[in-house]
Amino acid sequence: MSVLQVENLVCGYKPKKPIINGVSFSVDEGEFVGIVGPNGSGKTTLLRAIIGLLKAQKGTIKVSNQPVGELERREVARRVAFIPQMMEPVDGFTVEDLVLLGRTPYFGRFFFETEKDYAAVDWAIDELKIDKLRDRSVTKLSGGEFQRVAIARAVAQEPRVLLLDEPTTHLDLRFQVKICKLLWKLRRNRAVVSTFHDLNLASRHCSKLILMKKGELIAEGPPGEVVTPENIWKAYRIKAAVKKNPNTKKAKYVMLP
Amino acid sequence: MVNKRNKIKGGIITLSLIVLLALAMFFSLFLGSVFVSPGDLWGSEILWQIRLPRVILAALVGLMLSVSGVVLQGILRNPLADPYILGISAGGAVGAAISLAIGSHFLVIWVGSIPITAFIFALLAVFIVYELSKSAGKTSSETLILAGVALSAFCAAILALIIIVTGSLQSIYFWLLGSLSSANWNNVITIVPAALIGGGVAYFYSKELNALLLGEEMATTLGVDVENTRLILIGVASLMTAAAVSVSGLIGFVGLIIPHWVRLIIGPNHRALIPQAALSGMLFMVVADTFARTVLSPMEIPIGIIMALVGAPFFLYLLRRRRMENS
Repeated sequence: MSVLQVENLVCGYKPKKPIINGVSFSVDEGEFVGIVGPNGSGKTTLLRAIIGLLKAQKGTIKVSNQPVGELERREVARRVAFIPQMMEPVDGFTVEDLVLLGRTPYFGRFFFETEKDYAAVDWAIDELKIDKLRDRSVTKLSGGEFQRVAIARAVAQEPRVLLLDEPTTHLDLRFQVKICKLLWKLRRNRAVVSTFHDLNLASRHCSKLILMKKGELIAEGPPGEVVTPENIWKAYRIKAAVKKNPNTKKAKYVMLP
Repeated sequence: MVNKRNKIKGGIITLSLIVLLALAMFFSLFLGSVFVSPGDLWGSEILWQIRLPRVILAALVGLMLSVSGVVLQGILRNPLADPYILGISAGGAVGAAISLAIGSHFLVIWVGSIPITAFIFALLAVFIVYELSKSAGKTSSETLILAGVALSAFCAAILALIIIVTGSLQSIYFWLLGSLSSANWNNVITIVPAALIGGGVAYFYSKELNALLLGEEMATTLGVDVENTRLILIGVASLMTAAAVSVSGLIGFVGLIIPHWVRLIIGPNHRALIPQAALSGMLFMVVADTFARTVLSPMEIPIGIIMALVGAPFFLYLLRRRRMENS
């Protein structure tokens, strides 16, 4: 079942200079999609368009078959959650306070949190295994801990699609893998779409890759089909060999001298 | 957005603030520049026509200035925002002075005209300062403060000009100093709606203000209409500031001191911050005004002077702390 459809999307910050130039793809429920490509290929811009921070100049974006452009902001927020590369930790907030912010699209004007909201927060905290951090101040967390809290906030939002912008960039190796495994688990009953800087990391953990260059989609499919020497040359202008990990059967590129 | 444990803590603090406020208001009725024995007080004109409206007015002004501070700090995403520092109070004072000057000369005065012109000029002031200082969705502290200072100086000049031209030194001069000495029931009735609307709207926008703690873009992805929220909340802050200015003149720093103090105790969550800043502002103002009218009895110090004496050093301290944090 398709939860996210992007059709012929054209968007950018200036009307005459689009950054995304006619991109189409579709994401099914249960998929973990990695968007990869060189710097400036429009990965982040694509995410910003999907969440509605950037208006589409042409084309449509549909979440659960509803065009995002026709939905109210609150309705979009109930369907898609966004985790930016760097979120500001709010001084004076505990982890629980921050996760509760994810319930914002469900609060009414005159009514605030209900038992259902607390349940969603407990569930998100449980899902991300951050129960021990619950009462800690968010300014006193490590990078990896804070990233998990940021994801818990988005999970509490109960979205159909979870969007992440380079969630592993500021993390050490151990946390990079940990976050990827977590996202793999979180893909169930929804879809996870994340940009990645590290092609091999994305190839190892995602169920599908989207390779972009200069605002266009140049390859799409299972990691084994996307990570090929030809595609790497097309996207990055780098000569590489591709090996298959005998255990995981995942494709991995190695740069050639 | 209050988690369960904070609800209990918040409840205790709210309750103690209400008790303290009631006590402060009660005792301040017995104090004043004229001594009246408690036995004679009941039924005296001093209690019903002078002290009671004054105490209530002080509380309302404290509420409005303090909540305006919280709202402005939240919406401008800047902890140094305050209606006085941003020049909103000065803008409102110019509006009030113009209304008063025209009223006394052309006899077109009516009950609502002073707060309404004050409101229009306060709005004008906040939009000038805001437009000048915003960049990339944030407001730069430096521009915000500088624009506020320049605007305040400009407004002070206009006020001085009005004073000279109309010769109504007595009635306008108190705006420059800030005082509750002209309190009466009429004033109280005039500003009650502004306090109720302003406080209520601010409280019911606390989820938006909380989401804004994460930045404008994150707030947008959480379903907040940032542009709309900003318009409404800046309007509400200007309304409250203008209402406060039109009855009490330029009282500064309340919107800075109280929100910071309350934030230190209960944290940045607006669901608790707004009601508790409102109560603390009321309490603070009632106590400060009692002090203002008794300490040099029978003379009275304008409360604006006391606030500046306490508030300006506090502002400088905040400025210094921010600089230390940034470096």
